[in-house]
Amino acid sequence: MTQAPAQTSEPKASKVNIHEPIMEVNNLAVSFDNGSGPRIQAVDGVQMSVYPRQTLAVVGESGCGKSVTSMSSMQLIPRPPGRFDRGRIDYRLENGKLVNLLELSEKEMRSIRGNEIAMIFQEPMTSLNPVYTVGDQIIEAITLHQPVSTKQAWDIAVEAMDAVGIPDPNGRMKAYPHQFSGGMRQRVMIAMALACQPRLLLADEPTTALDVTIQAQILELIQELKQTRDMAVILITHDLGVVAENSDVVCVMYAGRVVEYANVYDLFDNPRHPYTRGLLASIPKIGSRHDRLVTIDEVVKNPEEFKKLPGADKGITPWWPWNDAPKDLAARNEPAGDYCLHKIADDHWVGCWRTEALKDDNSPPPELEFRCADQKQ
Amino acid sequence: MGTYILRRLILMVPTLIGLTLMVFLLIAMSPGGIGAALNVSSGGQMDSGTSKAQQQAYLEDRYGLDDPVLIQYVRWLGRVSPVKFGQRDQIAPTGEVVRAPKQLKTPPRYDVINDTLPEVEAPDPVVFDESMTQEEQTRAYRLASQHYTRLRADSIRTRTIYLETLGRALREIDQDKYVERTGTMKTDAPKRAVERALTESGMESEIRESLDNALSAYASAERARLELKAVFDAKPFREAGFPIIPGTLSVAAPDLGMSFSRGRPVTALIAEALPITLLLNFIAIPIIYIIAVPSGMLAATHRGSWFDVLSGGLYVALWSVPIVWACVLMLGYLANNQSGLGAFPVTGLHSIEAQDMTWLPSFNDGHFVRGFILDTLWHLCLPVAALVYTGFAVLSKQTRAAMLDNFNADYVRTAKAKGVPSRDIVLRHVFRNSLLPIITMFVSIFPAMLAGSVVVEKVFSVPGMGSLVIEAIFLRDREVLLANAFIIGVVNMLALLLADVLYALADPRISYD
Repeated sequence: MTQAPAQTSEPKASKVNIHEPIMEVNNLAVSFDNGSGPRIQAVDGVQMSVYPRQTLAVVGESGCGKSVTSMSSMQLIPRPPGRFDRGRIDYRLENGKLVNLLELSEKEMRSIRGNEIAMIFQEPMTSLNPVYTVGDQIIEAITLHQPVSTKQAWDIAVEAMDAVGIPDPNGRMKAYPHQFSGGMRQRVMIAMALACQPRLLLADEPTTALDVTIQAQILELIQELKQTRDMAVILITHDLGVVAENSDVVCVMYAGRVVEYANVYDLFDNPRHPYTRGLLASIPKIGSRHDRLVTIDEVVKNPEEFKKLPGADKGITPWWPWNDAPKDLAARNEPAGDYCLHKIADDHWVGCWRTEALKDDNSPPPELEFRCADQKQ
Repeated sequence: MGTYILRRLILMVPTLIGLTLMVFLLIAMSPGGIGAALNVSSGGQMDSGTSKAQQQAYLEDRYGLDDPVLIQYVRWLGRVSPVKFGQRDQIAPTGEVVRAPKQLKTPPRYDVINDTLPEVEAPDPVVFDESMTQEEQTRAYRLASQHYTRLRADSIRTRTIYLETLGRALREIDQDKYVERTGTMKTDAPKRAVERALTESGMESEIRESLDNALSAYASAERARLELKAVFDAKPFREAGFPIIPGTLSVAAPDLGMSFSRGRPVTALIAEALPITLLLNFIAIPIIYIIAVPSGMLAATHRGSWFDVLSGGLYVALWSVPIVWACVLMLGYLANNQSGLGAFPVTGLHSIEAQDMTWLPSFNDGHFVRGFILDTLWHLCLPVAALVYTGFAVLSKQTRAAMLDNFNADYVRTAKAKGVPSRDIVLRHVFRNSLLPIITMFVSIFPAMLAGSVVVEKVFSVPGMGSLVIEAIFLRDREVLLANAFIIGVVNMLALLLADVLYALADPRISYD
C-alpha cells in the first residue's frame, strides 16, 4: 500500500537541525468563559516539546486538555469565549527562528496553518466540507500555501491521495466526501494535511472513529511519513495501545496539567505517578486471567500509592486534584502555584505538589530527544 | 434528473385536478351559483332584449349548468386537457373556441304522457363554396348559432312551464317531495308519481297541453341544432390542435373558456395579467434576496453587534406591519399630491401618455423624457415596496441561523486549520452550506408573494392576476376563477420544482436518480 511518495515538489526538510525541538509549549494556560459562572481553566502550566522525526503522544481522559493544547498551537481556540492566560508556544521556523504561536497575528498564523503545522481531526465523517469534492478541498490547501498552478496543484493532490493509499486517486479526486467510507475520509484528511508537507503534524485522535485494521493502516502511514519527511508528530489519544506502538515520548495529562512526562519505554516500564499506574493497570492483558480489571480509581484512591516517589520521605508528593494538598504546601503566589513539573529522574518528569521540599524546584522543562527508531538501530 | 423532473411534471396533473375541483365546488356552492351576478346585472354582455329564459339558455349552453356539478367539472377538465376526444374544436377569429353543439335534452318524463317524440328531419349537409370568404362563413355560423340559441331558449321556456304544471299537479295530490322549491317537478321524479299526477290531480288536459308545447319547441330546437351542426361540420373556422387519430383523438392547447363578465377568452385575459404579476414578483423576490441574505450573513459574522440587533429588530418590525395598512400609508404619504410628497404615481402601471413614449429614456429639446421602461418602473416602485418589506425578516433570520449553525461545524475548523482566510471561510465554506435553508425559503416565499400581490394589485390598481381574480370573485366568473387557480397552481408548482432542482445543484448529497 505505502511506498514513499514520489516527490515532484521540493521536499522541505533536509537542512533542518533535527536535534533542536521544533515546538516547545511553555507554561501554557487557557481558560474559557462560562457565561455566569467562574472561568473554566482548561489547561494550566502545561509544558511539552517535540523534535523533528519524533512522535509525542499526549494521553489523558476526555476533557483533560489534550485538544485545547493542540488547538492553541494553531490558534483555533475560539476567542472569546477562550483566552490565552499565560505561557508561550515557541515554534522553530525552517530558518531556525523561534516564533511564539500564541502572539502571531491572524495573517501570520494563516501562513503557519496547513503549511508549517497541519492538523488531523478526530471526526472524519464531518470534518470534510460536504458540498465540495475532495479534490477541491485538497487543492484549496495546496494553492493557499504554494505558488503553483491549478494543474500542478491537481498533480500534487493526486500524489498526496496516492501516498495515503487511496485507490484510483485521479478518479476519486472528483468524488464527494459522502461517497467515501470513514477510513477513506480520514485518509483524505491526512492527504490534505500532508499535501503541503508540514513540518509538524497534530493528529487529534486520528483513529478514534475507525475500526482497528484501518486504525493500524493509518498509524503506520503516519509513522512512515514522519521518517521520510523529517516531520514531527503530536499524537493525541487515549488509547494506550496506540501510544505504545507509535510514540517516542509520552505526556500524560490530567485535569489540564501534565502529570507525567517520559519516553515511552520509561513510562510503560516504570510509571511514577499513581494516575499513570492506574491507567496502565486498567489495560486488560492478553494471556493472563482476570476476574475483574483494576480501575484507575482503585489506584489513585489508595494513599500508599502517593508515597512511592523517590524522595517521598522528604515530602515530594504527586499532584492530584482530588487529594488534599500536603500540609507543607508552599504554593507560589501565582496561578497553578501549588504545582510543579518535577524532574524526578533522568528524562522523567512527574507533576508534584509544590511542597517545602520543592519550594525552589526549578526542574528544566521537559525536553526529550528520544526516538524509538534510533534505539532499534 | 431528467426522469425526476418528468415524474414531477406528471405528478402535477392530479394536484391540479384536486385544486381546480375544490375551486369548482366552492363556486358551485356559493349562493346564487355561477349565474347570480348575471341575473342581477342587466345582462349587459348579451344581446339586448333577451328574456330570462334566453339568458338561462345561453348560460346552460355555455357552462352546461343543467348538468350535475361533477359532470360540469369533468366537462371543464375535458376542455382544459390537452388531449381531446371526438370531433376537433374550431377557433373563431376572436380567439373563442367553438365546439359542436351539445345534445338537446328532451322534456323529462314525456314518455309517461306521450309515447312518441316528434320526428325531426335531418338537414342536408352544408358545404361552403370555395369562393366564400372567412367573414361570410363566420356570418353563416353566427346566424345558425343565433337561430339555435333562440329556439333552444324557447324549448327551455316551454319545458319549464311543463315542469311547473307537473309540479302544481304533484302538490295537488300531496306529493310535495317530488317538487323543487322553485315549483317545478324534480327531473328525477319516478314514473309512477307522474302517472298519478296525470290521473289523480284533475289537471290532465293542462299537463298534456304544456307537454305538446314543450315537445314542439323541442322539435324546432332540435332541427335548428342539426342545422348548426351541419354548418359546424363544414368547418367555418380553422381547427384547433393536431389530430392523432382523425375524428377520435387530437392534441390541442387547453381551452380555458370565455369570461362571461368581459366576454373575452380567458386565455387572452391571463396573457395580459400574468406577465404583470410575474414582473412584480420577479422584481420583488430578487430585492428580498439581495437585501436579506447579505444582511443575514453580516448579522451572523458579527453576532451580537449593533448591526445584528438593529437589522433583526427592523425586519421584524416591518414584518409586523399589515400590508393593506402599509399600502394606504404609502399612497397617502408618498403618492398623494395634497397630503403627501406626490413623488410616485397613485394608480396603474403606466402614465396616460405612456403610449406615445419612446422605449428608452431620452432628451427632447433639453427636456428629459422618461420613456416607457422608466415610466413602468416608476409606477412599480410603491407596489414592489409593498410586496418586499415583509419578506426580509424570515429570510435574513433563516440565513443568520443557518450560517451560525455552520460556523460551528467540523469542516469549518478543518478549513481554518488549512489556513483558509476567514472571508473565504464565510463565503466559500459556510455560505455554500447554508444555501439549502435559503432555497427552502423560496418555496414558502413565492406562493406568499403571489397571494400578497392580490392585495397590492388591488390597492395600486395594477391590472395583474390579483385584480383579475378579485373581479372574478365578485362577479362569480367561474371560468376566470378556475383559470386563475389553474395558472397560479402551475406557476407555484414550477417554482417548487425549480427549488428542488436547485437543492440538488447546491448539495451533492441530494440526488434524485
